[in-house]
Amino acid sequence: MEIRQSKQPNFFLKKRVRLSIMIGLLGVLYVGAAVILNFNSAAFLYLDRGMIWLFQNFIPTSQSITYWYSITQALLRTFVVAVAATSVAGVLALVLAILGAKSTGPSRTLSWVIRGFASIMRNIPIVGWAMLLLFSFKQNDFTGFLALLFLSVGFLTRAFMETIEDVDVEKIQALQVTGASYLQVISQAVLPEITTPLISWLLYMIENNIRDATLVGLLTGTGIGFVFDLYFKSLRYGPAGLVVLAIIILVIAVELVSNYVERRIAA
Amino acid sequence: MLEINKLSKTYDGGKRSLTDVSLTAKEGEVTAIIGPSGAGKTTLLRSINQLIVDDSGEILFDGQDIRKLNHRQLKKTRSKIGMIFQNYNLIESLTTIENVLHGSLARKSTLAGVLSLYSKDEKQEALQLIDEVGLADFAFKYCSDLSGGQKQRVGIARSLMQHPKMMLCDEPIASLDPRSTTMVMEILRRLADEKHMMILINLHQVDIAKEYADHIIGLNNGRIVFDGATATATDRDIENIYVSDAPVAVG
Repeated sequence: MEIRQSKQPNFFLKKRVRLSIMIGLLGVLYVGAAVILNFNSAAFLYLDRGMIWLFQNFIPTSQSITYWYSITQALLRTFVVAVAATSVAGVLALVLAILGAKSTGPSRTLSWVIRGFASIMRNIPIVGWAMLLLFSFKQNDFTGFLALLFLSVGFLTRAFMETIEDVDVEKIQALQVTGASYLQVISQAVLPEITTPLISWLLYMIENNIRDATLVGLLTGTGIGFVFDLYFKSLRYGPAGLVVLAIIILVIAVELVSNYVERRIAA
Repeated sequence: MLEINKLSKTYDGGKRSLTDVSLTAKEGEVTAIIGPSGAGKTTLLRSINQLIVDDSGEILFDGQDIRKLNHRQLKKTRSKIGMIFQNYNLIESLTTIENVLHGSLARKSTLAGVLSLYSKDEKQEALQLIDEVGLADFAFKYCSDLSGGQKQRVGIARSLMQHPKMMLCDEPIASLDPRSTTMVMEILRRLADEKHMMILINLHQVDIAKEYADHIIGLNNGRIVFDGATATATDRDIENIYVSDAPVAVG
């Protein structure tokens, strides 16, 4: 049988033209941005030299090791702030998510309010939160803690809410029709069903917050971020490199631990 | 005794689901509700414990109109009505015994229920019921590891833990193989015979209805088109339930 192509004669041509336009536009955007920023595209050619300089200066030397103790102390503080912020955020977010989820919340209005709140908290970037909070709380660990807490509450509320809404409503109803009370249904049906994804989200958030906490430390003058800033600006590149190395080790370690925990709870 | 008078329900969007449905069901009897897909069987069953809120009519159970109960009274009445589902609706991340113990939540204080503080007697009773539905070896297994037939029997044990007077069974065997079907139907039959329970069951399979039910109610397009004892129902009667001039497709 003959397949008629006459209806869409230029189908593939049109598709190719559209793709070419897209690529062309991206090119124009790059050139435009480079011109505005006075960005010399030839800099790419010297990328190797930059890298070599980086490695020559930032590789920790034997002297840098003397800084190891103060680096780990600062890193520990940062780690504790991140974990504390995530834990508190987790509890708050769980309550908000239960009240806000369509299947478990008391009213649609409340659901809207919580959704809006979570959205605002989540969409202000961490640096934005940190700078904002600096006005009231000055440079200390608590400012960093709050910044991480606010962002985490927003993010986790949304994540938990979606997790709760994934639980089959019929399962919830099946317990309601036994005459069980609201809180009983939440604790006996909803919570057991969401425990595994809940822990996954919390672990993800802890990982994320450790990374963010180093950045926040730069602004709030605390923890590992501050230590890096200090060494870098006083031209102590070796120790600054050691800070970066310590952060990388911690982040990888946390990721390995959380992967292990996730595998165990999934089994 | 359950007595339903002139129950009607129209869904949002104008789809009429039940029109003037009246029926009675008695203790110690299995009442089968049969009819084509979309006839309103599920709506009817779920109106009885107000999982679906109907528009008008009367549902008399235990001498009260279920439709007129306040929140607190409804909870109390619901605790006397067991319900099992086509998809079992167990909490699969919990074990068999934990699911069965859920049937006792309504009798407990909120706090004790939230914290899973079950008494020794309650645990003993749950184990007894698990044994009665033939799952003694699976009491401490996670429900996600059970087969469909086993899950449905956990569902029955959970309902029995409520000490119900009536069991509502919404297509309980639609997803089961023949062997599990027989097992589940025999348990339900036994509950009517030995515990004098009222069993209402939505079914697709006419032969199963004829074999296990005392009483058959035919529903088509939201109206009752047959109501009689199984013994007196002829093949023609049954056939008529399905061929009424309903605009709904037979599935």
